[in-house]
Order: sequence, then C-alpha cells, then structure tokens
Amino acid sequence: MRYEKETKLLQSAGRREFITKGAIAAATGVTAAMLASAATAQEAMKMPHAHGHSQKPIGSRNAKPSIPAGTDVREEYDGYSRFKPGRGNDPDSDYYLGKLVPGFRKTEDGPAPFVAPDLEKLPWEMVNGAKEFHLVPMAVEREFHPGVKMNVYGYNGSMPGPTIEVNQGDRVRIVVTNELPEDTFVHWHGFELPVQYDGAATLNQEPIKPGRTFVYEFDVHEEGTFFYHSHVAMQEAFGQVGWFIVHPKKVFDPPVDRDFGLIFQNFFVGPNQTVSDSWSMDWNWHTINGRSGPYTTPLVCKHGERVRVRLLNFAPMQHHPIHMHGHTFWVTGHEGARVPKSAWIPRNNELVGVAQASDFEFVANNPGDWIFHCHMVHHMMNHMTKQVGPRIRQASVDRYLANLDNRPSVEAAQRAGFNTPGYPQKMMGMSMSEEDMKIYWGRREVQGMRANYLMAVKGLMTVMRVLPDDLYELVMETDQPIEKGAVFSEIVRRFGDPDHYEPAPKHEMMSMDG
Amino acid sequence: MSKFGISAVVMLMALFIDGAGAQELLQSPARIAEPPAPSAGSQFINPPARPTQPASVGDTPLGLGEVLDLKTVLSLATQNNPTLRQARLQISAELAKAQQAGLYPNPTLAYAGEQIFVDVEGDTDSPGEFQGGIISQRIVTAGKLSLSREKYLRRAHVTEHLAVAQQYRVCNDVRIHFYRALAAQQRLEMQRELLKTAEDAAVTARELYNVGQANRYDVRKSNVMLQRTRLAVQKAEHEYRMRFRELTSLVGLDLPVGAVVGTLATTEPLATFDGTLARIVAESPEVLAARAKLSADRITIEREEVEWIPDIVFSAGTGYNFDARETVAVADISIEIPLFDRNQGTISQARADFNRQRREVRRTELTLRQRLAMVYEQYAMSFEHASEYRDSIVPEMRAAYRELLSSYKQNRIEWREVLQAQAEYAEVRLAQISYEEQLRQSEVLIQGYLLDGGLNAASGPMPAGHIDSVPKPR
Ligand SMILES: [Cu+2]
Repeated sequence: MRYEKETKLLQSAGRREFITKGAIAAATGVTAAMLASAATAQEAMKMPHAHGHSQKPIGSRNAKPSIPAGTDVREEYDGYSRFKPGRGNDPDSDYYLGKLVPGFRKTEDGPAPFVAPDLEKLPWEMVNGAKEFHLVPMAVEREFHPGVKMNVYGYNGSMPGPTIEVNQGDRVRIVVTNELPEDTFVHWHGFELPVQYDGAATLNQEPIKPGRTFVYEFDVHEEGTFFYHSHVAMQEAFGQVGWFIVHPKKVFDPPVDRDFGLIFQNFFVGPNQTVSDSWSMDWNWHTINGRSGPYTTPLVCKHGERVRVRLLNFAPMQHHPIHMHGHTFWVTGHEGARVPKSAWIPRNNELVGVAQASDFEFVANNPGDWIFHCHMVHHMMNHMTKQVGPRIRQASVDRYLANLDNRPSVEAAQRAGFNTPGYPQKMMGMSMSEEDMKIYWGRREVQGMRANYLMAVKGLMTVMRVLPDDLYELVMETDQPIEKGAVFSEIVRRFGDPDHYEPAPKHEMMSMDG
Repeated sequence: MSKFGISAVVMLMALFIDGAGAQELLQSPARIAEPPAPSAGSQFINPPARPTQPASVGDTPLGLGEVLDLKTVLSLATQNNPTLRQARLQISAELAKAQQAGLYPNPTLAYAGEQIFVDVEGDTDSPGEFQGGIISQRIVTAGKLSLSREKYLRRAHVTEHLAVAQQYRVCNDVRIHFYRALAAQQRLEMQRELLKTAEDAAVTARELYNVGQANRYDVRKSNVMLQRTRLAVQKAEHEYRMRFRELTSLVGLDLPVGAVVGTLATTEPLATFDGTLARIVAESPEVLAARAKLSADRITIEREEVEWIPDIVFSAGTGYNFDARETVAVADISIEIPLFDRNQGTISQARADFNRQRREVRRTELTLRQRLAMVYEQYAMSFEHASEYRDSIVPEMRAAYRELLSSYKQNRIEWREVLQAQAEYAEVRLAQISYEEQLRQSEVLIQGYLLDGGLNAASGPMPAGHIDSVPKPR
C-alpha cells in the first residue's frame, strides 16, 4: 500500500518531468516563435505604447477562480478568502491569514508531491525490508547559469545531491560509494539514529576511503524536513548536501497542494575560474538548488492553492533573511520537526540560519509573479564588482578587446552624474548573449513573465508565480509559445489596474544595462 | 571670524571662481595646495584636481624631420660620414708614398771652377785650371728602390684593410644607433600607453571617490602616478631625441628629429661562440691589416738589409782648362765604404719591428677574443631574453590582460585590476624592447667584427714612433 503511494509520487514527478522535457524538446519551435515574436515586437515598438492594452488578452477571459468539484473546501473561511488578498476576521481564528485553510488536495491522497526545482530524486528499491538507496559522493560540474559550469562536489552527478524521499516509519539503507579522491563521511542531519550511522567524521565511523563503500541503515521514526551532507567541512562548503524529506504517517493538516524545496548555498568562484574556493571567507556566487538567479526556476502554483516551501540554508557562514512578496506566510516547521499550530508564526521575512531549514505555508490568494528572495543586499546579486571604468563611461569593453596593444584613451571629462556624490549606485553592464536569452526564456515556468524578468532576479532570488487555472494550464501543461509579458498583462487585466500598467519594452532585453 | 571660518570661506570662494577642484590649485610657485585643513572627511568636497602637464623645457618638437629606414641611413652614411673619406685618403697617401719611394734619384748638374788664380803661362791669376759643367748620377744598387716601393705598397694594403674596418665601424655604429633610436621610439610609444593607463587610473580614482570607495589619499596618489608617468613620457622623448641626433651625427648630416621605421626584433639564428670567434679571427679587417703590416715589415727588413750596399755615384763633365788652354773632361766614380756603418742598427730595429708586429697579430686576435667574450655573453643573454619575451612572456601577459578584460566585461572583476594588468602588459613590452635592442646591438657587433666608433678618425698603418723619419721615404 505504502509502496504504491511511493510509486504514485514518483509517477507524478515523472509526469511533471515529462512535461518539462516535452517543453525542452519543443524548444526549437518555441525559439523560432520567440524570434518571430521578437520581430513583431520590434515592429510594435514603432507604435506608441498604449497603457495596459498593448498585449492581447490570453487564456479564457472570463475564467473565474474555481474550486475542484467534489471537494469540501470552501472559498472563504471566517472572512478569509482563498482567492483574494486579505487577513480574515479575527487574529485568534484558525483561519486568520489562511492559517488552517486547507488546500484542494484531499488528505486521503497523501502528501503532495515534493518538488525541488532543478533537482532529481534518488530512486530506491525494496531490499530485505529496507528502502535501499545508492548515493555516490563525487566531483560534479553544475551549470549555475547557462554555459557557466562550475566545479563543485555533489552526489550522483548533481549538486546539490538528489533528493531522498521516504515515509515516516520506513527502514532505509543507504549504500554510499565514495568516488571522490579523498575520504568522506555522510551525515544524516537531524535523525535520531544509532550512533554508528551518524556519519560524524571518525567520531562514529572510519572514513569512507576513495572507491570504498559504506552502508548506513536505520529506521526513520521522524517526519519533516531533513537533509544529508558530507561531514568534512570543506566538502560541505564545496556543495555536498541534499534533501532528505520524510513524509508523515499522518498527513500534515491542513493538506497542501504544492510542496516545494529550495536549498540556498553560496560559493566563491574567482574570475576566469570554475573551481569554487571553499576556503574563501567571501562569497560571490549564490545558488538556489544549484542555480543562480535568473536561472533559478520559478515556483508555479494555481490561484487559491495552499503551498508549502521548505527552505534550507546551506551557506557556509551566511544567514539569510528570506522574504516573499505579496503574501503573508506561516512558519510551520523547522528542520527539527513540525511546529505545533499554536506556535506557528505569520511572517513576511524569516531569518534562516546556517544549516537551518524552515517550512513556509500560505494560501496563494494573490495572483502574479512574486519575488522570493534573500534580503541581504549582497546576496541579491552575483559577483558584485565595483562600478567604475568603461561600464559607467558608456565605453564598450569590446573596444579594449579589439586592440590589446593600443588601448583607447580615456576621456578626462566626467559624466554629468558625477556632480552627485554617490553616483553611480545602480549596477551597470551585464550584457547577455542571445543564446543565453533563449535558454532563460526557453523554460515553461517563465513563459509570459515580463520581458524585464531577467534583470530583476539575481543571486539568491526566485519567483513564486500564482496563476489562475487557465493560465497555469497554458504555461505548464501546453507547449504553446507565449509572448513575453502576456501572462503578466493578463493578470493585471483581471486582478489589477490595467489602465495604469506599462508593459516592459522587449527590445531592451538584449542587455541588462541599468 | 575664526581661523576655520576664514579658511572655509577662502575655499568656497576658490570653488566658485574656478569650479570643481580648483581650490587645490594655488598660485605659483606652490602648484599643489596643502590638504584643506578641517573639512576633509567631514563634508563632501570635490576630489583633488588633476595636476597640470609638467613643464617641458624648450626643445624642438618631435617628428618634424624625415622618416628614415635602415637602408636609407646606411646609404646616407656611406656618402657623408667623413671618416670613410679619410680612410680612402689614407690609402691614397700610402700609394703616393710608394710612388715616391720608387722614384729614381735625379742626376746632379754642377758647374765647377777649379784652381782659380793658378799662374799659367802668360797669365798669373788665371780663371782656373778647370772651368766647366759636371753631371753626376747616383746608381742605386741592390734593388733598393723597388724594395722601398714594395714596402709602401704593402703599407697601402694595410690601409685598405683599415678602410674596410672603418667601413664596418661606420656601418655597425649606424646600425647600432639606428636600433637604439628605433628602441627609443618604441619605448616612447609604450610610455604613452602607460600614460593612457595612468590617466585612466586617475579618472577611476575620481569615480571611486564619488562612490566612497576611495578617499583623498587615493586620489592624490593617482595624481602622483599620473605625473610620474607624464614625466616618464617626457624622459622617453628626451632619450629619443638624443638617439636620433646621435644617429644623424654618424650619418654625417644635420637633420631635424624625425622618425625611424624598421623592425627591432631579429630573426637571425643564434651564433655559437667558437664559430663566431673562428670567423672573426679569420676575416676581421683588423687582423688582416695586422697581417698586411707584418708583410710590410718583412719588406722593411729586406730593404734595410740592402741599405748598406753602397750606391755608385758617377760624375762626368766637360770644361775648359785655362792652364792647358784646351777643352778637357772630368770623370768621377765614388762609392761609400761601408766600414763602420753597415746599417746594423736600423736593420736590427726593423727586425725588432717585424717581431713586434708578429706579436701584434697575436695581440689583435686576443683582443678580439677578449672583446668577443663580453659581447657574446651579452648577445647570448639578450638572445635568451628576447626569444623568451617574444614567445612566452609577452604573449602570456597579453593573454592575462585579455582574461581580465573579459572578466571585467562579465562583471566579475573591477576595473582597477584591469588597469594593473594593462600596465604590466606595457611593462613587459618595455622590457622586451630593451632586450631586443641589446640583442640587435650585440648581433651587429658580432656580425661586424666587433667594430664600432663610426666617428673616430680612420687609423693609419703605422703605430706611433715607428721609423719613418727619413726625408725620402725608403
Ligand atoms: Cu542571504
């Protein structure tokens, strides 16, 4: 019975994967359509922008928020609407801020599938009464940005490692075969297991030598958000971590429709380098599930759903104040355990310390593209450099590259902005190749977002997209090309103030110049 | 008004008078003001002004003269360098000596009146026993004249070798100074590259100042660097003018400072020490001249060895004998008896000179070896450096600079690092120029028999104090 449920979970993950891969397979078509739409956009440029109305309506214009047939969930609980922003009537109510407003999913259907964007799940087999996983610590290459392949350590070809997903009460056997050229240990962070399997370097076990295998086996009586990682400090800093999600025997109540997982990490990779410097005290690359904004994959959900985000901060030494726009969320658990409902806290910003995980839950009652990010200024960007030199002088670096032996001379006269102390504060430069643009825009999860989206999402940032059903289906369940900004405009049309909305000019998107 | 108040007002006035930064410029002689006393860091003031261009002491501007390439300067030098003409005149002088030395002695015509006032028949105090003309002629024996002529012809041969040597001295020196001028010109270009970088660094320091990432100390330091780099450019200009004028002096013309065109880097393969030495010893015009001089000295011995053989002097004449009152003739043969002076001393001096010259040949070979020892090591060292700079160091630094530029383009490093790489790239190219210059100079010397000094007077065939004091050359 439980095994069946697992299979179902895997299948549903597989289905999603199929959709994603289908989208990639269709990328040529999508690209061609994108180019075509870019061409028309250029023509459109010649016309003055009419506020709000420049984008044609998409989806079913008269779509109303809907509750799936056959459920007993409601649109409103104690004055709190799952379809409209609002807090409800009474802070002491169970439904204040959507606290216990259930998702559409039925509790009997078991936990919602856990989705860690851009990460795989670790398959298992039932062997001698235990779920047997095979985990391989190894050096891996991870694409932080399109074409930007960084050298880190991970597991089974992935950094972070693949997700281990089990049920409370399972017995697990994890066969670890070390493909690193050095000793390693794997620690099962948070589990109350027999001490010999704890994985703390040499305190509990002998090192797993290169090429050798060590078998961890224990019963899981916990439920919640856990993770595994190497217990060699620099291997941790070099990326060796992965989710270990334990679904509860008794499905958490209220049920959620979405269960997302985000692992925040940071690295230092010098210019002209791809090897992370785990000894660094400085951090210039910030990743979510192994990718940096804007390459992080947006979390997409449907209007009215109850959503859980599990967020692990696995930065070596930086805490992250995590902020999500447009919603107030409840902090319902940490990596230790689910928090009793009486102790849940409503927040807009949650500080997640190093090696801590937090579970956020909210009802997606405010459609739109909502930024979800660490609020530390330096974490909102990657590899920040001082804003001086040609990039603020409107002199292209290509002029220097064109003739290395004879550099262009510099204009002594400074730009007008220099009359203002502090100028410039805005980050400039950052041009993006057409190839990169195609990759960024080729993902289904970003279809219809504003053309400026790539400029807005950097470093430790991703986007929570709350879409009406019809738009969700269009974006996530079809391969239809969608013009940049079309979904956003449609949401503004339906839920916002279309007369005071100006779409992003698409032609500026080849460069991220501020 | 308090002291602070006054200085603040003065500063503000200066600001209004001359805009941004002018407060830093006081009137001459103090060009750079002291730091504005209490306000730095307590309120925003514009960054210290960029210094003005340092004074350049009135010299002619560069680039007015001709554009010279090596072929042109060599041909101009061949036409105009005075020492080459001198060397040719030395040959003419020696040939003239040879001619002179071989000339046969002239006959002597004399009038003789003998026994004047002798009493003769019919007359006391007659006009003389003999009154008449006598012609005498010295008969030169033992081939003295041809030996003398041969001796001077051989000396003329010495001067021919010396003229070739002079040709090398001039051409080598022209080449060396051409490459020096070329190197100086390239160094000037490179200093101008460094100047652009220093100017950029000064602008960058101001940009950083405006965003609080540099302070007044940093800006002033960038001013100092800028000024030092400007002076370095001026110094390079001075050096170039000097090199160009040295070159045109050798050429023998007074040209305004122009430009040189050519390739500094050489593509010649490395020559070995032993091979080079063997070639120089075999072919050097200095050695050839010393050998020719030895052969002249051998003839000198032969010549001096026949000097004691007496010439015969015949005299004959006719006149009137007032005693006999008839026409008579006289005849006379004289010969020196080499009894005491058999020219022993001069012969032994000539032999000594000959032996001395034999050592001179050896000495010349050894000096060449000694000079080559020094030149060769410099040649080999600069060859190693020049090839390594050409093949590895400069391209590597160039690539390093490119890496940083593209990192900057991708927003991964800051501009100051790029500027540093740019300066380092210019600096390795500066070093490369110096090694190529050294290599060229030593290569020219090695290929040109170690001869230089194209404005030293062409030397003659004889060392000082040699026997050469006889009125008629012999
Ligand atoms: Cu952070």
